[in-house]
Amino acid sequence: MATESSGSKLIVRNLTKAFRRQRDNRVIKVFDGISLDVHPSEFVCLVGPSGCGKTTLLRILNGLIPYDSGEIFLDGNSVIKPGVNKGFVFQDSSLLPWRTVTDNVILGLEIQGADKKVARERAQKFIDLVGLKGFETHYPYELSGGMQQRVNLARALIVDPEILLMDEPFASLDAQTREIMQSELLKMWVQAKKTVIFVTHQIEEAIYLADRVVVFSARPTKIREIVKIQISRPRPLSVKRTKDFLDYTDQIWEIIQEEVLKSMGREVEERGVVR
Amino acid sequence: MKLRSSQLYAFCSIFAGIAFWQIGYMLLARSYLFEAFAINLFLSSPVGVAQSFVELLGTGELLTHSYASFIAFSYGYLLATVVGIPLGVLMATTKKANYYLDPWVSSIYATPRVALAPVIIIWFGLGLFSKALIVFLGAVFPILLNTYTGIKSVKENLIEVVEAFGGSNMQVFFKVMLPDAIPAIISGLRLAVGRAVIGVVVAEWFGTEAGLGYMVYDYSMVFRPAPVFVGIVVLIAFGHLAFVILERIQRWISPWYQFQLEKEVEGMGLE
Repeated sequence: MATESSGSKLIVRNLTKAFRRQRDNRVIKVFDGISLDVHPSEFVCLVGPSGCGKTTLLRILNGLIPYDSGEIFLDGNSVIKPGVNKGFVFQDSSLLPWRTVTDNVILGLEIQGADKKVARERAQKFIDLVGLKGFETHYPYELSGGMQQRVNLARALIVDPEILLMDEPFASLDAQTREIMQSELLKMWVQAKKTVIFVTHQIEEAIYLADRVVVFSARPTKIREIVKIQISRPRPLSVKRTKDFLDYTDQIWEIIQEEVLKSMGREVEERGVVR
Repeated sequence: MKLRSSQLYAFCSIFAGIAFWQIGYMLLARSYLFEAFAINLFLSSPVGVAQSFVELLGTGELLTHSYASFIAFSYGYLLATVVGIPLGVLMATTKKANYYLDPWVSSIYATPRVALAPVIIIWFGLGLFSKALIVFLGAVFPILLNTYTGIKSVKENLIEVVEAFGGSNMQVFFKVMLPDAIPAIISGLRLAVGRAVIGVVVAEWFGTEAGLGYMVYDYSMVFRPAPVFVGIVVLIAFGHLAFVILERIQRWISPWYQFQLEKEVEGMGLE
């Protein structure tokens, strides 16, 4: 097994990925050489024009889908398959509807083969952490969207992953709940000291959360720019209205806008017609 | 509260139906038509059926027949469950198995199984085995097909959750596919009750010496409608009871499923 030693938690080197579109058997290049280093306990957000493959990258990092060439190292070890050293937080409603909050949280431990009773005891700590004390025996359908995503988070954290991969976890929440979840996530992140890769399509969310925002180009996707967010922590929600914050928003928005226009131009070329 | 009032409506509706039947019969009995067409050879009244019920119960005839039918039902239904669920799972999870089995399942399913009953009886005789087999043929398909659909329609993202934790195929099956399919499987079991009851009656028509189907057939041959209706009512009651029990089990095992259904109904604006 290939290894790589350096101070980075996650190293991605020259990653490429293409897939064959079923409709017309055309090969679509998704990633065209992505390289990225993530430091331990860093919070990195991935943004980019829609369809650029943010979620695909997250899945590759988790080992859920294979990549064509390049290398991925987590703690110096090559990533080839999913496992509990990576915690994945899915977009929405990915809780098992027949399981209570506690039993949903312990899923990962159960898959590892942990004793259910021990796992349930351990679950309490994480249920408390995400602020769901008192809801242990509730079923997902008895919870609001925000609460369901808290369970989702606890489920990923309980396995004590090396890295947390979050795929637009707040996308389906209403604006207020989303903001509250963002600030709570930062609090939990400080406590749990995890490395986080967070995919979002909301620039404002990325800036608020991240140490660095990785901006992708349109397909074939490359890293267009990495923006270091120098806003001191802890960040209250009011930071979103400061000038620094808005400058970052403008900067990233401009890059994405450029990329979106480029991709629109190419789409017209690809299809041969303007729809 | 909603449930109670709906039960009350159901009760009133059934009661009204029976009352209508009784009154209609009594009016008919007063008219000259009754004698002219010998209506008592074809029709009985609820009171007449009740009297006959008590009578048949007293002689032990009803119990003997009910028992014979119940045994045939149980064997056939159990066999259908034991065969239908694993086969449905196999076909849903293994493509190869599906390719091989699907033509058989589709063609046997499309065959009117009543047509198979005489063949089964000449092959296996008049005994319990033939009866159970006919019941089995009726009941196995709803169970098999519902299991298949249930497993097939599992949401991809839930499977991915288990995979993301490094779960094996076995874990995906037992932690996601099976629990997700359970409501559908129980629905199949419910549908199978009706089919199995039909199977029992059909099997008993083609020749046995006991069973409710036999009893119904036998009394109709001698123009005694009251015991015929007793047989029918007992069959209805049994089928209904089994159906309701399974519904309770479904609610008890999968309360979340009931909620999903209700939510969908609300979503469609029917509530």
